[in-house]
Amino acid sequence: MKCHVPGPNVKVLARTVHALARFGDELYLESLPDCILLRTLNASESAYAMVKLNKNFFSHFNYNYYSIENDGLKCKISMKSALNAFKSPAHMDKQVENLEIKLDPHSSKLIFQLKCKHGIVKTHYVSILDCKAMQAIYTKDLVPNRITSSQRLFSEAIGNFQCSDDQVTLEVTSESLIIKNFGDTPTDLSRIIRSQVTIKPFEFSSYTIGTDTNITFTMKEFRALLGFAEGLNLPVQLHFEITGKPAVFIVHNGTTIEAHFVLATSKPDIATQYTSQQTTNSERKRKDDSNDNNISAKKAHLEDLSNQFQEDSNLFNYIPNNISQNVIENINNLEKADSMDTNRDNIPASPTSKMKIASVFKRCFESTFDPRIIHGVVLAENSDSD
Amino acid sequence: MDDGTSQYYFTACMDSGKTLYNILKSIQFQECAVFCAMQEGLKLTVEEGKCVQASAYIPSDNFTEYHVRDDVDVLFKINISVLTECLNIFGANEDSSLKMYYRCEGSPLLLVLQPQSMINVMTDCEIATQIADSILELRDEDVPEVAKLVLKASAFMGLLADLERSCDTIEINLSPEHPNVSIITYGMQDRSCIDVPKSSDMVQSFSCRQAIRLKYQLYHLRLTMKALAISSKVVLRSSSNGLLLIQLKLEKEDQRQMFTEFFILPLLDD
Repeated sequence: MKCHVPGPNVKVLARTVHALARFGDELYLESLPDCILLRTLNASESAYAMVKLNKNFFSHFNYNYYSIENDGLKCKISMKSALNAFKSPAHMDKQVENLEIKLDPHSSKLIFQLKCKHGIVKTHYVSILDCKAMQAIYTKDLVPNRITSSQRLFSEAIGNFQCSDDQVTLEVTSESLIIKNFGDTPTDLSRIIRSQVTIKPFEFSSYTIGTDTNITFTMKEFRALLGFAEGLNLPVQLHFEITGKPAVFIVHNGTTIEAHFVLATSKPDIATQYTSQQTTNSERKRKDDSNDNNISAKKAHLEDLSNQFQEDSNLFNYIPNNISQNVIENINNLEKADSMDTNRDNIPASPTSKMKIASVFKRCFESTFDPRIIHGVVLAENSDSD
Repeated sequence: MDDGTSQYYFTACMDSGKTLYNILKSIQFQECAVFCAMQEGLKLTVEEGKCVQASAYIPSDNFTEYHVRDDVDVLFKINISVLTECLNIFGANEDSSLKMYYRCEGSPLLLVLQPQSMINVMTDCEIATQIADSILELRDEDVPEVAKLVLKASAFMGLLADLERSCDTIEINLSPEHPNVSIITYGMQDRSCIDVPKSSDMVQSFSCRQAIRLKYQLYHLRLTMKALAISSKVVLRSSSNGLLLIQLKLEKEDQRQMFTEFFILPLLDD
């Protein structure tokens, strides 16, 4: 894959990378015949972002430059490396004239070459960590609730909230939308400042609520995507269903760029991050049960690939690089699969080393510890008789 | 007055202490500096672990009055952070005139500062001095210069600022062939490379006799950044033994000039 990004779009790409960096630590890049997809997933797998850069975003686009095969390329790089190539998005359009991205299937490096002012050429050789692509399964089209807002409206509302607020709740009815930082039950006393912003439907460019509901999602990613939309001066579309189903934020300009930000939602009155994820996972599972067979069939072999994702990647499917590799892995896993199938429900006991250490020094933790009761050989006598 | 000053080893007067403060701040990465007053001007030198030597040189024409006794060496060690603190005693927004006195070996350096906007306010500072340590003599006349590069200071600073902070070493390749200057940094897994051809606007002059590959600690090069920020022009000279000399020129509003120079020792190839 080889493509050229013209100067003004380099700034857009830099803003995209910076927004994605607020989501996850790894960046997945996939080149398709007519577009490039950038994806990321956060560590707790509760937020996913996908940015599609269409062919006309680039001044030159050749997705199979190095190979004759009609197969797109996929790679995973560290987000840090990507950020290193796009350091200061605000000034990038002034310095950079052109960016060339090269991905050779036989090389282990992804190349970003920035042609800057003063004839300076900066080349970043970024290591490819993996050749996998990752894709989330979510619905954005057949949902009852759709809101389109100008990029300013949400950011201004969010500006009233504290930096320490980690979650935000949207309470929607057909009459109004309420953004607040607390749930319904007043159990959480640690939250001192409670904020609530009510926005009337006429403030939005479009407002369709089929089902009254309230959804809670993380603030950090919400701020990141709003910042992205604001930087690009594009409106935000929010598509969502009910509590527990993911909320999809769409930012697009219709021609060159389209970004989807998917945030897992939870019930609003859950105090900690941990429990909220637990809920999301179980909610997700419920959702997946209703999904069509095609997806669950896909999942079946994914479970062989990595047990790690069995529990929590129901929303997110990993697509292997190519089938041949997959087959080899499947063969390798054949013998394992039998034993694994039977043991699948058994969760191995966690290591107990911590307990052992605690018991070695157990006496120290007793409230009535008296050093005199330790009888034994004195290895080093007190040096001073006093 | 002349009779009064002649008993001092060194006296100097300056209308504005601001530029002096800025230039001393830019080499202040160590506590102590060697203060040396010569007939031509004043020079303060700091060293970082015998790897980097930075000097600020203020030619005597920057002073309204400048006297050094020619029969003695005016050389002592002084705490440079205390010195800069004293120069900035009226705060960053207040420029002050400055007088400096140094009576004899072992006596403190006396500073008299008077703010320009306030009359009848005066500060008298006494900074203790110590016997100077020996400074490395890094300039070797026998070693030929291989490459010389004159760059715009702001553009060079932009390049240094853009380098990845996490990497330790920087490799500079200079060559008579295109690309004439190439700066390579190695990150955790990644490699970044900046090519600057001699035709670039930021390169004011370039001469290089043979291709040379130099390796330095990035941290050492970063020490020049404060000086780059206040300078207009930077000269990079490289000797065949790998020693890098970075000379920076600071131009004041009154057409007078001050200089900083950094000697940076190379990393050995492993």
